[in-house]
Amino acid sequence: MIPVLVASFETEAALCRAVARLRAHGIRALQTYTPKALDEDEQGKSSLPKAIFIAGMLGISAGLGMETYADVISYPLDIGGRPKFSWPAFMPIAFEIGILCAVLTSFFGYLIVNRLPRLYDPIDESLSLREATRDGWVVAIRGADAHTRQRVRQILERFHPAHIEEVAA
Amino acid sequence: MSDISGPYPLSAEGQKRPPQPPRASDPVVLPGPTIASMTDHVCANALRERTFLWLKLALVIPCLLIVMLIVAIFWLFYAGVGIWGIDWPVVWGFAIIDYVWWIAIASGGTFISALFYLTRSEWRTSLNRIAETMTLFAAACAGINPILHLGRPWLFYWLFPFPNTMTLWPQFRSPLLWDFFAIFTYVVSSIFFWYFGLLPDLATMRDRAATRRQQIMYGVLALGFRGSGDQWRHYHVTYGVLAAIMAPLVVSVHSIVGLDFAAAATVGWHSTQFPPFFVFGALLSGLATVLLLAVPLRRLLGLEDYITGRHFDVLCKLLLVSSLCLAYSYMMEAFTSFYSSAAADRLQFIDKVTGSLAPVYWAAILLNITLPQLMWFQSLRVNQPLIMLVSFGIIIGMWCERYTIVVMSLRRTHLPSAFGNYTATFWDWATLFGTVGLFFTGILIAVRFFPMISMFEMRKLLQGRTLEGARE
Repeated sequence: MIPVLVASFETEAALCRAVARLRAHGIRALQTYTPKALDEDEQGKSSLPKAIFIAGMLGISAGLGMETYADVISYPLDIGGRPKFSWPAFMPIAFEIGILCAVLTSFFGYLIVNRLPRLYDPIDESLSLREATRDGWVVAIRGADAHTRQRVRQILERFHPAHIEEVAA
Repeated sequence: MSDISGPYPLSAEGQKRPPQPPRASDPVVLPGPTIASMTDHVCANALRERTFLWLKLALVIPCLLIVMLIVAIFWLFYAGVGIWGIDWPVVWGFAIIDYVWWIAIASGGTFISALFYLTRSEWRTSLNRIAETMTLFAAACAGINPILHLGRPWLFYWLFPFPNTMTLWPQFRSPLLWDFFAIFTYVVSSIFFWYFGLLPDLATMRDRAATRRQQIMYGVLALGFRGSGDQWRHYHVTYGVLAAIMAPLVVSVHSIVGLDFAAAATVGWHSTQFPPFFVFGALLSGLATVLLLAVPLRRLLGLEDYITGRHFDVLCKLLLVSSLCLAYSYMMEAFTSFYSSAAADRLQFIDKVTGSLAPVYWAAILLNITLPQLMWFQSLRVNQPLIMLVSFGIIIGMWCERYTIVVMSLRRTHLPSAFGNYTATFWDWATLFGTVGLFFTGILIAVRFFPMISMFEMRKLLQGRTLEGARE
């Protein structure tokens, strides 16, 4: 098993500088753990909005389709000669179904994209990680061989981390 | 701890600053808390081993009210809706009044948390958890009312379009069915919006939990959120999209509630202004309820640093704005009654303002329109007892408004020979106060177990402030 290298910093700025340096050295397989989103995360890209939009549109179409099928084909009712396909009256329900699909896609899509729920991860053994939801700024490097770990350690030391540890994975 | 490097003085551990009365010029967060101290403070409220005494005491009456609600519901299911005051021609009574009232309160919470997220208002950060929690339980209270009202509530699933041996479909052209879909969507979406907004905070709670029981509870609820870069990256985008979905949803929900009334050719209901009229009312009652909860919770949970005079100032201004919008709707209602050539409309309106139930109408005007005018004065906008009084008045006033709309229109039909009357029975009141008990029980339990400040968003605010200070 290759241990995970976990380093925690006392400030967001120190973490960001360290991460930038690591990236500059070509170390890409790193993950930050922070109490709030870093600026780069907040501006990062995600495929979820597209999925949510598509789900919403599909929901609206499916809702409209169901209402049309019910009132035009399956069980047409003539109410005072009103058109069977009275689409304006179908819109509210179609809209609500679309919204429901979008909301469910947002939530479950988020879980799927992040492979959640994952109640246990080997990195939980690191003591620094518990602070990462309070005011610790943590970076973890996975899957690095002994030589790379040594190099990463040297780079990180320059930014005065609060802790550096290796966690068995 | 880096965040201490900010220019603001820190109150040392255990050393309390003298309490300052809230002022309108207060910042969104008072100087002092760091992201670490804020996290500890907010978590400590929820992770306490022993429940606050005030919380236990506050739970007594709501729990008794829930018992009453359960009795009322059992008696209703056994004896039927005849135990209520409804009859021809007033077939919509307390159940519909309470339903509209509760869903309006619920909507206000979503307005604050979704709409003001999209406008990037900093003050929202301190209030959105309280507002969303309120929405959740108010929507639950709203949701049970129409089902109780059905007469045969065990058949409520007939409203779902499901394949059945009768080959029947629900009536998709009816606003009442639109309403069912709207409320269903709204309740489900509110739960997910609330839970999704809570995920990072649940992760914090998991990591700060002292006992095994708490670790398991919050650990399971947090679903493995760890604040990793990837999780945050998707989180912020998704939360923004959810807020953008919730804002139009809440407008649609309350507009459809308005259409429940407007689509019927009933005297006094058949008006195109009903959807916006109902949305204004929702905003007003929602803001009032948030204030009604925020003022005592701020004190009881020691959130004075995070809910400041600025929040009261902003909310009270919004209260005033929505009250003025509602005043416009009331005026238009009076105007269209006389502008239209329908004699029944005019008669109904005159009965409303001068008839036997006129005090209810004027109470609504007094409490919803006149009383909030106090909020023109800045000194009154930060006066907490007055805020409580005005908010409470608005809650009562909004209920009176719904009573006016539902009862007064139905009792004066087009045909004078069919005029009727309405008197609420004990069971009507028991159901109303029972749902109030349900609401407060829910809120108090949420206050006990969940952080009442959105910690991860507050960190952003605090961190931003520290950086700004460091730059200067």
